[in-house]
Amino acid sequence: MSDVLLQAENVGIRFGGLQALEALDLTVRDKELCCIIGPNGAGKSTFLNVLTGTLRPTSGSVRFLGRDIAGLPLHRIARLGIARKFQIPSVFPSLSVEDNLKVARWGAPSPVRPVAELLELVALGNRAATLAGELAHGQKQWLEIGMALAIEPRLLLLDEPTAGMTPQETLATAEMLLRLKGEFSIVAVEHDIRFVRALNCETLVLHQGRRLRSGPFHDIETDEMVRDVYLGRR
Amino acid sequence: MIAGDRNWLLIFAACVALATIYPLIADGYQLTVIRDALIFGLFAASLDFFWGRTGILCFGHAAFFGIGGYIMALVTLNDAIPFASLLGIMGAVAGAAVVAAIIGYFLFFGGIRGSYFTIVTLAMGVICQQAAVSWSSVTGGDSGLIGIPPIEFDVGGLHVDLSQDLPSYIFVAAIVAVAVLTLWSISRGRWGTVLTAIQDNEVRAAALGHNAPLRLLVTFVLSAAIAGLAGALYVCMAGLVAPDLSGLLLSTEVIVWVAVGGRGTLLGPVLGAIFIQRAQQTISSFNPSLWPLLLGCVFVFVVIVFILPDGILSIYARLKVLFKGRRRAQ
Repeated sequence: MSDVLLQAENVGIRFGGLQALEALDLTVRDKELCCIIGPNGAGKSTFLNVLTGTLRPTSGSVRFLGRDIAGLPLHRIARLGIARKFQIPSVFPSLSVEDNLKVARWGAPSPVRPVAELLELVALGNRAATLAGELAHGQKQWLEIGMALAIEPRLLLLDEPTAGMTPQETLATAEMLLRLKGEFSIVAVEHDIRFVRALNCETLVLHQGRRLRSGPFHDIETDEMVRDVYLGRR
Repeated sequence: MIAGDRNWLLIFAACVALATIYPLIADGYQLTVIRDALIFGLFAASLDFFWGRTGILCFGHAAFFGIGGYIMALVTLNDAIPFASLLGIMGAVAGAAVVAAIIGYFLFFGGIRGSYFTIVTLAMGVICQQAAVSWSSVTGGDSGLIGIPPIEFDVGGLHVDLSQDLPSYIFVAAIVAVAVLTLWSISRGRWGTVLTAIQDNEVRAAALGHNAPLRLLVTFVLSAAIAGLAGALYVCMAGLVAPDLSGLLLSTEVIVWVAVGGRGTLLGPVLGAIFIQRAQQTISSFNPSLWPLLLGCVFVFVVIVFILPDGILSIYARLKVLFKGRRRAQ
């Protein structure tokens, strides 16, 4: 397939005696949106770290545009077109919102969107001069999404983008992502089911480091096994 | 930010004006005192360029000052070398930069940051001083090298001879002004903003495509090069070079100058260096043992009492914030 952007094959990772991930496959096509869900400790963040090249899998491979990215320095991965939003909002607190976005643009090989447009996209148009450290939690999350957009990614990886957000902010974030869908591929790791329901996309369910189910969210939501795992019955 | 830039330029212009009229009111001796203090001010600005923007403290910056000084001394004391003054300065700058590049490469790309970096550079300073003492066939050992000639060169038909007080003062003041202005314009623009971002969160900056270790390394090398330049200028003015110039005491003093003057302001450290050296001379004339005691107290005061982490130049900004807050509260 020519439009395959990211391909993870048979990924497994061991930390000492712990098999954190086992035999995971994931294919992300160009401009596709998909979610990875699972209960706490299922290996979601670990898998995302493997997908961004920050963790080298002990077996299997991760290829971005046909190229093995495991172990590349972080800035090289970013310049290939992989943007990442961290789980803990990590903006630059001593820079203004505008400077945060500028730093992000400067890191990109060929930035397209001007800072003003980025500010509007993430609903921070009136906070440009505010120090990022003084933003509310949800606004920091949005600023970080804006910074990820600034590097004009082919693929955007989001680690729990709605962690700590109010229900309204969560839905606003889902709408933001649905608007951006079609510009690049998005992979979101999440455990807020409302958010994933709002996105209504291809979903991979992890449980204890393995694939439990995968498919459209509608099918996943009605799956008995998934419900059991989420409710802690298995 | 723009208002801050304007204030900085105003203070800078005032300092330049002051330095310009100073020869009219000062005698030759006073000129040489300020000239030497300005050289140390340049040295302090070089440390601030790195420490102020990256938040990483180099505790062996005198190593680069000393390397610059020794290279300058060895080049100008060798009769076989033509254009000794110019070649000496270039060699001093390049030598300090190369040493910084080698050490910095292993530290920055090896992920050494924060206090670990400080400790390694502390050791580097001690090693440099020890090398200057032990390698006596080249460095003259404990007593150093004496009889270093003043700077003298021809540029475009103009003969520059810095053996007199006034020309040497003007030369040093001009170099310090140009260097501080250059470092400031680098550190306030894109380069400095990205450095601040790296200081805030290096992993995040890297995930946005910035090569953080490389940027830190280049900043460190530039900082060391300026320190080497200051060292080269100093030994020509003083006429001698000694192991103390790369020693732990000078490394500590320069940190005090920067901390007192205002870290991250570039101009503050120059003023801090001048101010503290004047204070040192005055106080030592009462009692020579009083100064180290006082220096220690100032150091502890500035570092531990973190009320003024940005030094004395930030008092104005802080007072403004304070009064604004009061007014709003009323």
